[in-house]
Order: sequence, then structure tokens, then C-alpha cells
Amino acid sequence: MVELQGVSVVYGETYVLCRVSLRVEPGEFVFLVGTTGAGKSTLLKLLYGAVRPTEGRVFVDGQEVNRLRESEIPFLRRRMGIVPQDYPLLPRKTVWENIAYGLRAIGYSQSAVRRRVAQVLAQVGMSAQANAYPYQLSGGEAQRVAIARALANNPPLLLADEPTANLDPDTSWEIVQLLQQINLRGTTVIVATHNRAIVDRANKRVIALDRGQIISDVPRGGYPAELDKLYPPVALVSERRSGEIAK
Amino acid sequence: MIDRLLFILSETLTSLKRHGMLQIAAVSTACVALILLGSVGMVLYKLDAIAQSLPRQFETEVFLKPNVPRERTLALQQQIEAMPEVAHVQLVPKEQAWEEEKRRYADEINLADLPNPLPDKLIVRTHHPEQLPKVAARLRKHADVDEVLDQRGTLERVLAVARLVRWVGLSLVSMLLLSALVLIYNAVRLTIVARQLEVRIMALVGATLRTIRMPFILEGVVQGGLGGVLAAVLVLLGAGLLSDYMLRLWPFLNDLPPGAPATLVLFGLPTIGMLLGGLCAWWAARRFVRIG
Repeated sequence: MVELQGVSVVYGETYVLCRVSLRVEPGEFVFLVGTTGAGKSTLLKLLYGAVRPTEGRVFVDGQEVNRLRESEIPFLRRRMGIVPQDYPLLPRKTVWENIAYGLRAIGYSQSAVRRRVAQVLAQVGMSAQANAYPYQLSGGEAQRVAIARALANNPPLLLADEPTANLDPDTSWEIVQLLQQINLRGTTVIVATHNRAIVDRANKRVIALDRGQIISDVPRGGYPAELDKLYPPVALVSERRSGEIAK
Repeated sequence: MIDRLLFILSETLTSLKRHGMLQIAAVSTACVALILLGSVGMVLYKLDAIAQSLPRQFETEVFLKPNVPRERTLALQQQIEAMPEVAHVQLVPKEQAWEEEKRRYADEINLADLPNPLPDKLIVRTHHPEQLPKVAARLRKHADVDEVLDQRGTLERVLAVARLVRWVGLSLVSMLLLSALVLIYNAVRLTIVARQLEVRIMALVGATLRTIRMPFILEGVVQGGLGGVLAAVLVLLGAGLLSDYMLRLWPFLNDLPPGAPATLVLFGLPTIGMLLGGLCAWWAARRFVRIG
């Protein structure tokens, strides 16, 4: 489904990604974890052609993304759903119109749009809020709408960049559950996150990135210990300090 | 295809309705640029018409020697008519000229008893005023010709002014067109910036570049067209008022050839506006609408 072969992305003198190789099979659910600046978002952008690799090759569904012309990128993106970090919604359009907008932009007929929007709204549990405007939604609801829009074209691959950023733990877990449901229907899901709680709880494949390099790739598990060693969580640091003081 | 077209049109309409202040800015910019263009165009059209008509009033007067018989005059007339540069040759017989002179000076002097001192005269017009000096030079060499009045100096001055008007006008219109292009380009760029979110969403879901850019191009066409219509109305109103005022001041202007026809202005300026708007919008969209 997705393959990176020795991919590097260099901005000026800085390696954002350094000789990264990985493979994601169809139907997998993968967490990309790492601190801010580790290269998670850049890796996702490589997959949908928003960033070109400085070296190496990127394959999605058998197609070499780095060889595509700008005019071919839209057709690649129609085979994937993209949920950006800031889940952009058009403020003057209702939930229904926001999802329909994406479908109409890629040439769906009015009847197909009506049918498909109703389906995806039901899938993400937002049918009741179809006529609400984005400002009337909570963060979790807005994220569900963004996911619904990404799913509207029924893509085999879903890329979500920090889908739980700025959400409380319960809502974050609801979003992860929704992504898992989508995955169970056969969609490959790749989620970039630094949310330790959801990674620990989901028990899925976890690829850890640090300063542009993959430092661990485990088929099932929680937040990688390698990252904990490099960047101890705040709670752990406080615990250690308390212990040292007690001694 | 029809669904995509409907989407593009609805996007264009939505944008035109929602970004009201931007639309006003873009339409008024196009309008101002086209008013300048239209006004300069009108003035140039008028000046050009004057410049074109003035040289036609110049013609060479060929006076034959007094003793040249009528048949030789007629033969010379035929020879001149055969010249490729010559458009028309009119014979003014000395008898006719003398009668006119007698009538003209009837109140001042009695010329009835005097013998006719005037020679036959040929009035020669060429196809183009520039050809006149050359024809006059050839006629001066003819044995039966006494004098040729070609008013060369005046003609050359008029032609020089006409050339200057055309070149200055052309340069002025070129500069105005360039500034109009830049102004509309900036207005469209502002519209694109105001709609970054729509552009981003369309790019994320896989809309083609053509689908994303087309509403901006149509918006530019509409803005340019509306600016053109406004400009055409204002230019015509302004030209009408100015013309009335100037005619009251200088009634002789009435004899000058008419200015640009209203239909040319009414159709020309909106068409130029639409073309300019579309071109600028296409240029701005190509530059600022990316899918990366």
C-alpha cells in the first residue's frame, strides 16, 4: 500500500527526514509517533505529494509519488483521505455543505453527493448535526466532520495528522475508536500523533521517529520506550525528582 | 462534466457575493484603468480622425502657362490622371476662373472690361497626402506648367503632428494597459488570499488545478467586464458633457470629424475589461494557486 525507500527530505542544511524506509500493508493501522519536529507531518505530506523527497522513492498503491507531475497529484489524492492537523472547515457552510463541497469539487453528481454525504455523516455519528455550522461544533465534532470529508470519496487509505490535538482525553479516545472502526472496514489508516495515552491504549503498530530517523517500529505496542528514554514524560521526571529529594 | 461546471459557476457566484469589498475594489480598479484607457482612446480617435482628414484638404494647384491652348491642357490632364499616385484631377478653365474672380471683386472693382489674365488651372489630388510633394515635383518639370502650389511645408507639419499623436497615444495606451494589468492582477491576488481555505480544501480532496483556478479566472472576467461597462458609461457621459462645453466655447469644432462611435465604446471597453480581467486572473491563479 505505502512504501518509502531511503527517503530524505532536506531543507537547506537541515535533514527533516533522513534515509527513512518503511512499508505499510493494506488494511494496517499505524501510529507515527515522535516529538514535535520529528518529521511525522513531513512523512505524511510525502505520501500525498505536498512535499517532494530530496532523495529516495515514495510509493502509494504501487504508484511512485515523487515521479508524478503536479497535474497528476489530484488523482493520487482522490485515492486517499487526508485529515490535516487543523481540520479546516469552511465557516460559512454547514456540516453537510462542508462534506458535499469536497465531493462536488471532484465532480460528483448532485444525487451521488446527497447519498454519499448521508452515508459518511452516519458513519462518523454526525447525522444529527448536519445543518450545524462549524462554530456550533465542539472540537471533537469538528474533527469528526473533517474525517467524514476525508472518507467521503471512499478512499482505501486515510492519513490523519495529529487528529487528537487540542482534544480532551475522552474525546481523543472517541476519535481513535472512530478511526479504528474505519480501519475495520478495510481502510488503511496512518495516524501521526504525539498523544501517548491513545497510542498506549490502542495497541497498534507504532513507528517512532526522532529527528527525521526511524528509531523503532513495533507491530503492536504502546508508546515506544526509546522515545521515553530520549524525552522522559513530565510525570516521570517529576516522580524521579521527588524520589531524589526523598533520598 | 456539467456537475463540475455547475460547481465552478457556483464557486464563482459565491465568491462574488461573499467578498463584497474585494469585488468593489477590483471592479473600481478595473473601471478606473478602463476610464483612463477609454478617455485616451477617445481623444486619440478624434485626433487621428482630424489628422487623417486634414491632409485631404490639401491639393496641388497646377497653373499652366497663359498661352497654352485648351487641347494641350486636356492632354496634360489625361497624363496626370494616368499617374498611379493621382486620385483625381479637376480642370478649372481660365474663363470659369475669371468669372469667379469678377464676381468676388464685383463690389470693389469692375473687371468686366479687362482681358482675362488667368491661365488654365488643374487641381490634383493624390491617393495619400504623402504622395503629393513627389507628384508636384514631377509636374514642375513639364514645359506647359508655369507654377505648382503644393503647400508642402504645411502638409509636412500636419503629417508630423499626426505621426506624433499616433506614437504618443500608442505609448500612453501601452503604459495604461500595463498599469491596468498590474492593478487587476493585485485585486485577483487578494481574492485568492481571501479564499485560501477553499483552495486548500479543494487541493486536499483531489480537485484538479483547472477546477481550483477556474472560479478565479471567471471572477476576473466578471470584475473586468463590470469595470468595463461602468467605464464605458462614464466615458460616454463625460465625453458628451465635455463636447457640449467645448462646442459652446469654440463653435468651429463642429466642423471637425466625429469622435469614436458610442457602440464601439459600449462594446469595446467591457470586452477589453473581460479580456484583461481574465488574463490577469489566469496569471495570478497560475502563480498563487498551488496544490502543494
